[in-house]
Order: sequence, then structure tokens, then C-alpha cells
Amino acid sequence: MLLILKVTFNWKWRYGQNRGNMRKYLFIYKTTLMETLQYLINIFLGFISFFLIIFVFLNLWQYIYSDSSNLIDGYSMSQMVWYVILTEIMWFGNRNAMLTNQISNDIKSGSIAYGLNKPYNYLYYTIAKHFGDVTIKLFLYLFVGIIMGLIFAGRLPNFQFRNLPFIAITFLLGLFVNALIRIAISISSFWIEDAKPIHWMYDKLILVIGTLFPVEMFPIWLQPFIKCSPIFVITYGPAKLIIDFSMEMFLSVVFAQVIYIVIVVSILTVLYQKGVKRLNVNGG
Amino acid sequence: MLTVAKKELKLVGLSVKYNLMKEMINRTSFLMNVIFMILNNASFIIQWLILFQLKKDIGGYEMNDVLTLWALTASTFGISHIFFFGAYHLPNLIMNGKLDAFLVQPKNTLLSICSSKSSTSAIGDLIYGYLVIIIFDFSIQRLLLFTYFTVLGGITLTAFSVIVGSSSFLFVRGDILADNLNGAMINFSTYPEGIFKGTVRLLLYTIIPVGIVNYLPILVLREFKAIYLVAVTVFAICLTALAFWVFQKGLKRYSSSNLMSARV
Amino acid sequence: MEQRMIIQAQNLSKTFRVKEKRKGLRGSLRSIVKPSYKEIKAVEDISFHIAEGEIIAFIGPNGAGKSTTIKMLTGILYPSGGEAMVDDINPCKKRKQLAYKIGTVFGQKEQLWTHLTPYDNFKFFGAVYDIAEKEVEARIEELKSTFELSEFINTPVRNLSLGQRIRCEIVASLIHKPKILFLDEPTIGLDPVVKENIRTLIKKMNKDYGMTVFLTSHDVGDIEKLCKRIIIVNHGKIVLDDSMEKVKYHYLDKKIIEIKMKEEMALPRIEGVTVLKSKGVNLKIEVDTKIISIQEVLKWLDTDNLMDITISNVPLESIITQIYKERS
Repeated sequence: MLLILKVTFNWKWRYGQNRGNMRKYLFIYKTTLMETLQYLINIFLGFISFFLIIFVFLNLWQYIYSDSSNLIDGYSMSQMVWYVILTEIMWFGNRNAMLTNQISNDIKSGSIAYGLNKPYNYLYYTIAKHFGDVTIKLFLYLFVGIIMGLIFAGRLPNFQFRNLPFIAITFLLGLFVNALIRIAISISSFWIEDAKPIHWMYDKLILVIGTLFPVEMFPIWLQPFIKCSPIFVITYGPAKLIIDFSMEMFLSVVFAQVIYIVIVVSILTVLYQKGVKRLNVNGG
Repeated sequence: MLTVAKKELKLVGLSVKYNLMKEMINRTSFLMNVIFMILNNASFIIQWLILFQLKKDIGGYEMNDVLTLWALTASTFGISHIFFFGAYHLPNLIMNGKLDAFLVQPKNTLLSICSSKSSTSAIGDLIYGYLVIIIFDFSIQRLLLFTYFTVLGGITLTAFSVIVGSSSFLFVRGDILADNLNGAMINFSTYPEGIFKGTVRLLLYTIIPVGIVNYLPILVLREFKAIYLVAVTVFAICLTALAFWVFQKGLKRYSSSNLMSARV
Repeated sequence: MEQRMIIQAQNLSKTFRVKEKRKGLRGSLRSIVKPSYKEIKAVEDISFHIAEGEIIAFIGPNGAGKSTTIKMLTGILYPSGGEAMVDDINPCKKRKQLAYKIGTVFGQKEQLWTHLTPYDNFKFFGAVYDIAEKEVEARIEELKSTFELSEFINTPVRNLSLGQRIRCEIVASLIHKPKILFLDEPTIGLDPVVKENIRTLIKKMNKDYGMTVFLTSHDVGDIEKLCKRIIIVNHGKIVLDDSMEKVKYHYLDKKIIEIKMKEEMALPRIEGVTVLKSKGVNLKIEVDTKIISIQEVLKWLDTDNLMDITISNVPLESIITQIYKERS
């Protein structure tokens, strides 16, 4: 009896769900976004850190490029400063404690189980919520970042507005891949006691290697490895396109991003299903 | 007076001991946290290797100085987060009405709060600091001075955190401001003094006292200068006194205010 | 003998300001620019005196101002009006001094370190209250046997059941032999057996040590079993302050009659009788004995048709609910 009930329920649920599917997640997105408006002040205060970080890098590069007409590994100082600003926007604007802590906490405390019997896909739900959280922050960072760039580094010499749509695509996909990787790391909390150390390492990988200097500044033998790492799709690729656009580069970045998405989503799905099964067996 | 202080310190010791005992219950997680934090700090060496390839001296620092800077930043951060991690949760405690539990105890509220939490990974930071000092350019004098600055710096960082955290007494989202300013401390303290100029450098010796926690000690560690040592000490004492005063003011406001966030 | 008033509240008031939220996206934006506030009088002009050794129930619905009052009495919050004296100490002036004399248990907020054993916790609180090592040991030993903790005194608190945990919470708050114990919903979420157990212990503490107990609770059982005096607050005001007996007596003129009949039978409308439930052969009525006596009512019933009859007092729960309604 129970089984029949369950089956019909599942059936109904699936068909009932499909219709309002996207709407549901859009709504989650919108609600979260509205919630962040409540805390607009937080985002403004968050600027302090963002501003200071850019400021420190600006000072650093100004010191290193003692003569601003120099080129270092093919980058002018203006390009270098823009590179740092853009990667920092993509990195800090997309940060969200929900992805790093909340998911792990949900798993550890077992409260993820409450979400299981709700008619939504946990992955979609998380992503909708995440982007709801960061949308406004991203726009504001972008705004401030661009202003800072114009003031401190001047206009980008090779930038053309007609490339903007292409750049936007890679930019968004980059944010998306980053969020997915974060979720995958957090999901590992099903098995390991504490996912934080892994987040740190990921953080450092991107931060040290991916935001501060372009790939070209690393030893030549190291460059192919970096180009295969998430750095290429998350920070370097999109930023490089803004600084120095080429169709060829665009296609290779998007191609890499799509491959990354397919791989990470597959890993995520498997991990999540196995994790939930494990949760059921152990009873949370 | 002295016995009161002794009793307070005993309680701080007891809190920290209990906190560390808790962290060590899960050995793998404990070791992971500590070891990964050491690696985490070490990863920045890569960044500096590359930067020093581009230019021999950066802001008046050479690789050795940057290593000392990082060591000191890590160890002061470590001390502060091992012994007084509660200070960084102050805004959260204020906003969620969790100060109450401390208020019904007959001990110094601020000290009890600061010592009520401890961060495991901070042990990794502290170890990292000492590793760097011991591995690169070791001498007994340097080690002793380093220890002195580590303790003072840890206290100064904590006092700073209490002061910015107390902003939560004034407005609702003081936590963000506090987080940002604490972050700014760390951010500035990992770059050479010389890359900053003018007003900014002035700020670094006043409002965001990185200059006093990090830059002056680096000078002393390079070449002993008593005057800097005294300056650092005096500053630490003053900032600590200020922290107690600010917190006390805030507490009064907390108890008598008519603003209810989440404390029915 | 003149009894000493250990807790005195004189026109205590506390007003809070709460930010109001507006609906929708536009509302959210407007709130940022110009937040609007609403004043809430959490506690309004409350006065009462509590004698040493009393157990008093301080009850009221959610948001009635119970916790706010406790916080003012323990020095956590300063009143916006009026004054409190607890054991001749003004809580907001000498909070620390007062702390040695009072114990607090907030049912929903834990003060114990969950990863430590109860024993270590008690030692910690011993240090908090500056009790000498030897004395703490003796005190723990004493409380251990009273509260029957020996089974789990060396098990980390997080592995204890809720009932065991709350017992430890209470013991932790008793380590320094407080004169007054403030209990804020101590039995919340506990099963009936454990509740009963906790009540017995509280009563014992009161009897053996003459400890004054100030208790807030939603649980009528707590109040009925423990307290001789009851203060009911609603919307920040005292609506009733009286002995338990009087409260009950006052409402004793109402009786509940439950009847099971052989056949269904309709009861005519009688003044002073209210039908609470009528379902088939089961009938439940409330009789106001000031208007009509029980005898009179029974006459209306066809005794041949009766299978079973119970006459009982109105439960305290309903009395309190009624008081809330009547007086606010």
C-alpha cells in the first residue's frame, strides 16, 4: 500500500514538477535576491575588503613597474592592473559562505535530509540560491572595479564594446564553474569530517596562481598545467578576453568551460546520489 | 586586585585547555586543519618567488624579510585565534543575544567571551611562523624577540577585533564591518611596508595598526632598536585598555538600549 | 515572623524598538532608505514582591514579557523604567556581585560545554564562581547523588539525552549554592517522566536549602506541582498575582461533567450549562455552579440512560487560557 502511494506520489510529483520547474528556481533566485537587498548595507561594507585588496595590488604593481612604459611578459602596467581587478571581481564577487559552509553544515547536522523530501532538486536549488546571493554583489563590484580601473589604470587599449557579449558569456560560465566546484568540495562532507582544508587549497590555487598574475608570468614548463586547471576557465580566460580579445581565444575558453561543466556536474550528481544513499543507510 | 587577575587568568587558561581538548577529539580532522593551514601559508611563497623574479627588492624588502613578515603575521594571528577566538565572534554574540550567558557569570565579561572559543587551524598558523623563523636565519635572540612580538601582536590583534566588533552594539550589521577590518589587517600585513606611500602609511600606523604589529617588529628583527620595541609595547597596552573601555561602553548600551534585534 | 522579600520589582518597564519590514521588492528598497520602527512595550509597569523560600510561577503566552523580566532581574537588561532589587542588590548596578547569589537555567540556551563531561563542566563553573577545589569536589559529590548523575557524569554532554542534559544544566547553576534560582522554561521538550523528575528535584532544592525559585513555564504541570503562587503576565502586564489555591478556588465554581449514555439523547437548553462536546452517546458539559447546582443538572439527566459519568474540576490549563482572554 505504502509502496503504491509512494509510486503514485513520485509520478505525480515528477509530472507536476516539470511544468513549474524553471519558475520554481527563478522564484528561489528572486526571493534570495530580495533578501540580499535587505542587507544592501552589508554589501557596501563588503567593499572595504574588496577595495583594500585591489588597492594593495595596485601599490604592489606600481612599485614593480617602476617605469610605467615597461612591459612585463607582454603586459603593460595598465593591462596588469586591469587583469588583477577583473580576476578579483570574479573571485570575490562570487564568494558565498553558503557554498563553503552551509552545505557542509547541512550535511553534518543531517538537516540536508529535510530538503530531500521537498520537491526540488538540491543542486538547482543551491545554485539558484547562490546566484541570488551574489548577483547584486557582483554588479556592485563590477561597477566599483571598473571605476577603480579607469582611475588608476586608464582605459584598456584593446577593449572593444562589440566583444562584450562574448566576454559576458565566458564571464558567467566562469562564475558557474566556480560555484559548481565549490559545491562539489562541500558535498564531500558526506565522507570526510571537515571539507574546509580542501576549500582552502582550492582558494589558494586560484588566488595565488589565478588572480595575481597572468599565466604568462609562470615558468614555461608550468604553463600548460595551469591552462588545464580551473584557473583557465574561472579567472584567466575571461580576464584575458577582456584585456586582449580574440575569437580563437574565446572559442577555446568556452570549449574548456563546457567541458568543465559537464565533468563537474557528472561528478556532483554521482557524489550527491551516493552521499544521500549513505545518509539513508546511516540514518543521518 | 592581583588575586582577581590571577583568578581571571586561570579561567582563561581553563577555557583554552577545554577548547583544545575538544578539537583534539577528532584527531584526523585536527591534524588536517593544522597541516593544511601550514601548507596554505606556505603556498604564498610561490607568489613571492615569482614577484622577486620580476624585481629584486619590493618595497624595501627582500625574500628574507617577506618570509619574516609572513612568519610574524601568521604567528600573531595564531596566538589571537587560539587564545581569544571568541573576540571574533563578538558581533554574532551581540546580535543573537548570546551575551546573556556571560552576563550572569561573575567574571570579566570580555575576557570570558574572548577565551570561550578557539580555532584549531590557528595552531597551524602559529607553527608556521615558528617554522619559518627556525628554518631561515635562526638565532636565539631572533627567536626570543619573535616570541615577544608574537605575544604582543596577538594581544593587539585581539584588542583591534574587540574594538571593531563592538560596532555591533551600535548598528545591526556591525559584523560585516568587523570582518572587513579584521581582513584588512591581515591583508596589509602580508605586503611590504615600502609599497605604500603617504597617507596610507600613516593609516597603517594608526587606524589599521599593521605597522605596529608587523612592520616595526620586522625592523627590530633585522637590527635591534630599543625605541621600536618600546613603541610596540606601549601601543599594545593602550589598545588593550581602549578595547576594554569600548566594550564596557557597548555593554552598557546593550543592557539599557531599546533596540531589540533578536533578543526577546 | 516577618518574611524577607528577596525579589522586589517596582514598576518595572522595558520598551523595545523593532524595525518594520515592508512587503515586496519596492518595500525592501524603501526600508533601506527610511526604516520605520515600531515600539513594543515588552514589560509595562510590573510590580511584585517575592519572599525568601518561595517557589513562584511566572507564566504567560509567548512574547508576554517573561524572559525580559527575568533578564531585568538578573542584570542582563536594564529596565527603561522602575527598579528591581534582588537580595538587596540592584541588578543593573552590581551585576557581578549578584551573579554569585543567583543561578540561571535557560531551557533553550545551553550554558554547558557540550564536548566536555558534566564533571569537567562543573569544575569549570566552580572556577567561574571562585570556589576552592576541595569545596567544588564536595559540592559535585553532593549534587551528584541528589540529581542521580553518577551514571553519566563522565560522558560528554553532547552524548546525553535531553533529560540528563537539563539535569546537568540545573546542577551547573547550583554549584555555587545560589540563594535564588531562575528557571526559564526548564522542562521544555522533555517527556512526562523526566518532567516529573525535574520537578521533584526543584522542590527538593527549595525544601532542603530554602532556595527561592523563580520559574517561567508554559507547562501547567510544572506550575501546578511546584508553585504555591502564580503570577500571570500578558502583553507585558501582570493580569493576576495570587496563590495557586485562590486561583483554583475562584474557578472551582465551574465543573466539567462527562457522560456516556446508552442511547443518544438531546439535552435541553439549561441556563448555566454549556455544552463543550456532543458526539453521539458522549456528552461533555461545563456547569457554572453559581447559577445551577450539580444536583439540579443531574436531575435533567435520565439516570437509566447513563452508562458512565465523571465530574471534575476545570483543568488549570483552561483556567489560565480563560484568564488570558478575560483580562487582556
